[in-house]
Amino acid sequence: MTQSVFAGFRHVEVGGVPLLFAADARFKTARLVVEFRRPLTALDAASRAVLPGLLLLGTEVHPDRPSLARRMDELHGAVVVPGTTKVGETHVLRLVLDAVAGGFLPGAPDQLGDGSELLAEILTRPRLVAGAFPPDRFDRERRQLQDAIRAERDDPGRYAMSEALRRACAGEPMEVPEHGGADAVAGLDAGMPAVALQDFLVRGEALLCACGAFEEAELLAAVERFVHALPERAPVRCPEPVQISRRAARAETDDLSLRQSKLVQVHRFEGDAQPDEWLARNLMVGMLGGSPSSRLFREVRERLSLAYYASASVDRHKGLMHVQVGLERKAAAAAREQIALQIDALRAGRFDDAELDIARARLVEGILGVDDAAASRCRFAMGQWALGIDRDPRAAVEACARVGRTEIVAAAESLWLDFDYLLAGTEGGEA
Amino acid sequence: MTKDRFVRHADPILGEEVLVARAASGMPVRVVPTARFRDVCAVVSVGYGSTDLGFAVDGGSVHRSPEGVAHFLEHKLFEDQDLHVFERFGKRGARVNAMTGFGRTTYYFQAGTAFEANLEDLLRLVSRAHLTPENVDKERGIIAQELRMYEDSPVYRGFFGLLGALYAEHPVRHPVGGTVESIADIDVEELLACFGAFYRSGNMALAVAGPVEPDRVLELADAAAIPTGAAPERFCPDDLGRPMERRVSVSMEVARPRFLLGYKDRQLVADPEVRLRRDLATRVCMDLILGAGSDAREEAQRSGAFDDSMTGSYLGEARFGTAALVCETEDAPRVEAVLRELLERPLDVREADLERIRRRQLGSLVRSFDSVQSLAFGQAEEALLGIAPFGQLARMQALSIDDVEARRAELFDAESSATCQVG
Repeated sequence: MTQSVFAGFRHVEVGGVPLLFAADARFKTARLVVEFRRPLTALDAASRAVLPGLLLLGTEVHPDRPSLARRMDELHGAVVVPGTTKVGETHVLRLVLDAVAGGFLPGAPDQLGDGSELLAEILTRPRLVAGAFPPDRFDRERRQLQDAIRAERDDPGRYAMSEALRRACAGEPMEVPEHGGADAVAGLDAGMPAVALQDFLVRGEALLCACGAFEEAELLAAVERFVHALPERAPVRCPEPVQISRRAARAETDDLSLRQSKLVQVHRFEGDAQPDEWLARNLMVGMLGGSPSSRLFREVRERLSLAYYASASVDRHKGLMHVQVGLERKAAAAAREQIALQIDALRAGRFDDAELDIARARLVEGILGVDDAAASRCRFAMGQWALGIDRDPRAAVEACARVGRTEIVAAAESLWLDFDYLLAGTEGGEA
Repeated sequence: MTKDRFVRHADPILGEEVLVARAASGMPVRVVPTARFRDVCAVVSVGYGSTDLGFAVDGGSVHRSPEGVAHFLEHKLFEDQDLHVFERFGKRGARVNAMTGFGRTTYYFQAGTAFEANLEDLLRLVSRAHLTPENVDKERGIIAQELRMYEDSPVYRGFFGLLGALYAEHPVRHPVGGTVESIADIDVEELLACFGAFYRSGNMALAVAGPVEPDRVLELADAAAIPTGAAPERFCPDDLGRPMERRVSVSMEVARPRFLLGYKDRQLVADPEVRLRRDLATRVCMDLILGAGSDAREEAQRSGAFDDSMTGSYLGEARFGTAALVCETEDAPRVEAVLRELLERPLDVREADLERIRRRQLGSLVRSFDSVQSLAFGQAEEALLGIAPFGQLARMQALSIDDVEARRAELFDAESSATCQVG
């Protein structure tokens, strides 16, 4: 088996599936993550969104949810968590096994072996009838998803963000909500989720990642058994995300019975960028709104008392920056003005080195802190793999140190406001 | 000099140790030296929360506070004319934050460098209050925005609606941050009075987990200007009678209505060790009835009585205890009937059920040693309560089905319950 190193993890191919792993005796747990990635489409998103719930409703061996849960209890609280996530314009089916290492338990049980067997069972041997999930279970999960979609509006912050993204990216794959939308879910039939699962397993870009307290041979044996359980694979590469040329900013407002309004701005970064440019973009966004030391926190919240929170974050996979502010409706215009002023200041290089130092220190700490948990180590390595950047945390920190004022200004100059969304509260004495 | 002051508690199976001491001020200090990790997490826990609205210092007269002071004070301690807290921590890349609950205010940082400077600043943060009428007024506007944000949450509104039904007088019925109206009454004098009463060495604890030199932690704790003194005498109504109201509703525009069912403890437990055993029995009981491994829960969900949104929690503090069940539903009467049937009837479980939960708890304990944050928070809480380290497993082993059933019968009594509907 040929081994190489990727992002600080060992890299091998097991049955054609890449495995990144790092045995790390500092931990008392072992983590194995399995990921399958497909393009995000409205047609498939709904079928995929019901999968995690259906997978936990039973397998050929453990026929219902209580028996599966009890099996996890027997494995000293080992958990297998399936989930689907929207990552940029791709849809990811991810299963995570997190198990306490047998060496810390009475009798030193084979926790990784038994846990990975359970993971494979959940993923590849779900309880099906004539190739489909049983109709009663399908109905239950679809009803739950429909209810959850309706309840999204009860979390105004999340709702405002998803509405802003949907409207900003209309016509692009990004506009598709993670669950495909209420109409798509209503249009599902019982056979579709099993087809979606098979599509993930056969055509998905797969990646395995492991970190924690295990022996290499023990892990490789468990992974080989897992890969052997997969159907014959013919993976298809996911397309690059759609990029949009600069255009005039658009704005929309919705009224809702709320005590606090939510302002979300979707900004885009112009053009493709190299990894080092992305580090500069991350630092620039950190200076703008990444922490309590950032410009938005200091100006919008602390100095002008316009909002309880005001922050900015990056979606690297799609090339976006989001700004989120929770405020009174009457303060929205002033907040918008401040956001624009602060971005202009960064573009013009009107910032002191201390600001950059703080943003850098925070980013560096975040990168180096990855090392302290098996979960974050896996997340980092898998994130690098998805972006095609072979750089371990130390190398990322070194690259971070090379970012200076020029790069920050360039990052700010590449930013343009595409969409401004205000979920406006109509309660609480707001004008 | 400091080495002799630590008492060492070790667990040979986990291969871990917790060092226990007191700083010169009398504040309990715990250190979990984990050389294998990069980050240090330090937590200062103060025995002061939103329910501490009545107190007397050193035998003086009873002071009554408006709701929301503990949370307001937490916000204000991050400000000092000399100490630009966020900038100072920020330059070192440290994450610093705080949170206020019913009975605690907790401050912490986590960072991989400059441990000593960070700890000095954290201890200084809780040692003094820089308050002016101007900065208190400015903070009032920010906190009002925070409270408005919470008021848009159906679960938050429902939870405090439920507590308001369960308790006629106990301050747990008030939102932790108070209300926009109640914080209007908070001024510099009020904040200083509360700071002086509660931010004292006898009412605080420090816990540090990470690659640190324990002696240095103790030296820095010794050097900190933590005001000395015991916790103030608290004046809080017991409110152990039946719920004030059996059914309440909160009117707000929601996409999905919420239903909450709550049960209040009618007996207080002063001894922290006994309270921890009671908490454990409660959580195990709720797990057996409503956890993913429960056939009864699965049957309820299969029949459509409720869905995955159903969650249960228990809050057990020295002066109150409450279990709350919450879910999204359009059919509250049906959910209530099914939940009462599950909770208010004798348990039908076997020793094997308890054993699998013991196994999960053991796993959870081992897992906690993979996180400096989990260790520091856990040790700070135990230090404040005066609980010896590594007691969880013994507590779990000692728990019997009879204990769990006795606890179920005590807590899940229809006469101690109330409901709240949101929608």
